[in-house]
Amino acid sequence: MDHRTRLYDRVVRITHIYLGPAADRFIARQVQNHLGKEPEKLTVDDLVQLIDWIRVAVSLLTDDTEIVEEYVLQLQRLTYPEAEATGKRVSSDAG
Amino acid sequence: MPASNENTKKQAVVGSRSAAEERAQSEAIFNSIGDGAIATDEFGKITRINPTALRILGYKEKEIIGKWFPSAVINVDENGVPLSLIDRPITRAFLTGATVSDRAYFQRKNGTRLAVSITVAPIIHNNRPIGAIEVFRDITLELKIDRMKSEFISLASHQLRTPLSAIKTYAHMLADGYMGEILPLQRRSLETIIGATDRMNELISTLLNITRIESGSIAIIPKTTNLVKLTEEVIKGLRHIANDKHIDVKLKYSAPAILKTDSLILKEVLSNLLSNALKYTPEQGSVTIKLTGRNQHLTISVHDTGFGIPKHSQQQIFTKFFRAPNVIKHETSGTGLGLYLVKGLVTRLGGKVWFESEENKGSTFYISLPK
Repeated sequence: MDHRTRLYDRVVRITHIYLGPAADRFIARQVQNHLGKEPEKLTVDDLVQLIDWIRVAVSLLTDDTEIVEEYVLQLQRLTYPEAEATGKRVSSDAG
Repeated sequence: MPASNENTKKQAVVGSRSAAEERAQSEAIFNSIGDGAIATDEFGKITRINPTALRILGYKEKEIIGKWFPSAVINVDENGVPLSLIDRPITRAFLTGATVSDRAYFQRKNGTRLAVSITVAPIIHNNRPIGAIEVFRDITLELKIDRMKSEFISLASHQLRTPLSAIKTYAHMLADGYMGEILPLQRRSLETIIGATDRMNELISTLLNITRIESGSIAIIPKTTNLVKLTEEVIKGLRHIANDKHIDVKLKYSAPAILKTDSLILKEVLSNLLSNALKYTPEQGSVTIKLTGRNQHLTISVHDTGFGIPKHSQQQIFTKFFRAPNVIKHETSGTGLGLYLVKGLVTRLGGKVWFESEENKGSTFYISLPK
């Protein structure tokens, strides 16, 4: 089943920078198992909780807290209403 | 001071006291539990470690607090090779979102290895994950007992086989008339003896296989296998049972079914499934084996028109020693080990096993294996 939505896609796109090809599966599992919902139902309201889970999980893969925070910051930008409304590429915002 | 302010102040004092009490209580629990426990913050840095964990790992508290968990607490495999980050139970738990309970090895400060059973859980505060806790216990003694149990079963099974082999050989020789003429009644008795030794041999093989699966010592030797040929061999081996019960056995396949697997193990799996189907199907029934391929997997289904599995027993069907009550009525022999073994073997082959069944209509068991 194709569970991609615009928001989900953007979360995966950002995650891909840090986790590579595992990004899609990683995010789908975080959404399903921690938020208890299907990826296609991911909303902006879920992002805060999702980011918390991602932070803990990714922090077990690297001790570089700066990288983790940079990744988290990029995800947090997706919670800004204008980013959702305009569909602006947040990863390029971060430079 | 107004009364309401005074009350608020009192409540704050009570509140802070109860929060302090709660902290003290949780600290006391954390420090007194018999299992090792290590807690991390959201960045994987160790925030707390209890005395049991310090004793097991051989560290002092100040040497480990504030360190990044994966580099401070080393997980190794049974050969002492450090596990990759993604293979560690704590990482798997957070990457997959599942609670992980696993066996692993820790490398202690002095470089020695220690077998532990680990459970990992997230620490949740106000509905937010703020870290992780890994709880573990030393299972050195359990592993030693497991090993002794397996060695005992293995030794006992081998020792049982030797006299059985002598019983069977001499029973055959007697039945074949090498030691003089025998009466028909004596022949029937000898055939019963031979049948019983065959069943005993099968039981010993099953016990040995289960021991190997449970101890993880079963070796998988994959080679290119023609599944059609293999299934035909299995059917041939059990044809006499089908003939005795007038059960029609069919093999259906649409294309050559070739896969890379351990053919001996797969043969054992198929023999178990077909023998079950024949055992639990009444006379004049039918058994159909279908081989189908899709993408990277091959599926084998064994369908019978037998007694079926009652709904209330279906969850336990792959459990060790379980036999559904409806088949015990019909067929008294059986150990309840066959399907447990099938599941263990299929899992070792990297496949899956499942079934559909309706009481008094029949069952279909499916195995899916990677090509």
